[in-house]
Amino acid sequence: MAMHGLPNGVTNPPSPLPPGAGDATESHKAPGTMVLVFVFLAAFVVYYFVNWKLLSGVWQVG
Amino acid sequence: MTQFRVCPTTGLKVDPQADALIKANAVVATVTLLIGGIAAIGVLLTRWQAVHLLPADWFYRLLTVHGMNMLIFFILFFEMAVLYFASAVLLNSRVAAPKVGWAAFALMVLGTAIIEWTMFTGQADVLFTSYVPLRATPWYYLGVILFAVGALVVTILFFATLVVAKREKTYQGSLPLVTFGAATAAIIAVITLGHGAAIYIPTFFWSLGMMNVDAEVYRLVWWGLGHSSQQINVAAMVSVWYLLGALTIGSVVINEKISRTAFVLYVLFISMASAHHLLVDPGFGPAWKVWNTSYAMYLAVLASMIHGFTVPAGIELGQRLRGYTKGMFDWLRRAPWGDPGFSALIFSIIIFGFVGGITGVTFGTEQINIIAHNTLRVPGHFHATVVGGTALAFMGVTYYVIPLIFRKKIAFYALAKIQPYLFAVGMLIFSTAMTFAGTFGVPRRHWDITFSQAPFDLQFSPTVDLVMGIMGIGGLIAATGGGIYIVVTVWSMFFGKPLEEARV
Repeated sequence: MAMHGLPNGVTNPPSPLPPGAGDATESHKAPGTMVLVFVFLAAFVVYYFVNWKLLSGVWQVG
Repeated sequence: MTQFRVCPTTGLKVDPQADALIKANAVVATVTLLIGGIAAIGVLLTRWQAVHLLPADWFYRLLTVHGMNMLIFFILFFEMAVLYFASAVLLNSRVAAPKVGWAAFALMVLGTAIIEWTMFTGQADVLFTSYVPLRATPWYYLGVILFAVGALVVTILFFATLVVAKREKTYQGSLPLVTFGAATAAIIAVITLGHGAAIYIPTFFWSLGMMNVDAEVYRLVWWGLGHSSQQINVAAMVSVWYLLGALTIGSVVINEKISRTAFVLYVLFISMASAHHLLVDPGFGPAWKVWNTSYAMYLAVLASMIHGFTVPAGIELGQRLRGYTKGMFDWLRRAPWGDPGFSALIFSIIIFGFVGGITGVTFGTEQINIIAHNTLRVPGHFHATVVGGTALAFMGVTYYVIPLIFRKKIAFYALAKIQPYLFAVGMLIFSTAMTFAGTFGVPRRHWDITFSQAPFDLQFSPTVDLVMGIMGIGGLIAATGGGIYIVVTVWSMFFGKPLEEARV
């Protein structure tokens, strides 16, 4: 077992962005994150629906 | 004239007083985490019905100890360290008034010691909420007031340090985003502590028999403290997310204005959102509940959803700009998963958003709250937000605080690398199992769900035994992760190998 160590960000800090790359960050896309957003949305819809379904079982109308 | 040291990693100038105040607050935070963690194991092994470890009085006592240490002492001492870091360190500034900082620290420690004493001696078995008419010894309320005054002074000192940095031109342009986020946490802290003063000072006099406190007014004002204090956590946690993203992977900020606007949404709306704790309280009208939880609360939730998008998107973009462009998730696959700061960051975002966020918004709906309120679903939710989210993010940043502030290498580094995984998996199992158990109607804060000596008979589905067992196993895995964190950090801080540094 390594007795002592340092995290990557200290021993090997992230390399600087290529020249000019930061200027246009607002126009860049993040498709992977968008996929995660839709997974999140689906999970939210399912959980929300299940809860209303559970509620309908204990609080019947009519 | 302040003699600064220069951090060889970041190039920041660090005031030794800021260093010392961060260290002192971080050490006390770790000690209270240990106390709260031991209490957690006692509570867990009692709720796990097959084990049922503690008698009733010690269960409620340790539940109080667990709540206060984890939700108040650990988190707030750590946040005080974050405030010093985000002001003095990130802005290359001196601390505005270090002696005031030490006085505030002493007040907080004194308040903590008094509260710990009253809780462990059975004089304050009132749980975290200490709802009136449950009465603790006046010393308990006095301890809370002293602690809160100390925290308020540190918050004011944070703002004073921002002014000093601006006047002495220690930084260029606008405040860095991390400092801006910490500033919103500090503003919410002022709102929170105002509510605390408004309710704990009268309650202190009530405990002395000098006045009355209305139970409903207590609940209303107390949640302005109880929930808003957790929103300080969220603002501080999001700031730490941005910080860890930059430190571990060089993530970029997609849009500064949007991120800053999201922080402002927290300030504007989160106090009203505290009303969701009172959704089934018969004393408040539906219009008040609906306004506060269906409009105000969603604007605060919107802020978290914005950060929940911008932080991972910033990581993705940072990776793509460095050449990790293959496919949809190459940027994530080739991230530094062996860096405990990075793994803690990602797990914190996932658990906070997917478990804590989704359950929280759902329970915040008035109708659904009727079937979730006071069941294990509620602690299932907030263990995902506060523990899986905030505490895990704070653990991750500790692995950077140790080398950058304590100037020490991290001890038992192989253990440190697996710690976020253990803690996250354990907490995920624990929170999910709690949520499932709550769906079957299992109450929260209850010593014996078999109701063995009750005058009525109540049987839960046999599935509950299985789910509670899974909850127990998940909790023990998380406790193992928490224990490793304490061993690694304490050993590193006191016995770790020192790093070289320069002075100017």
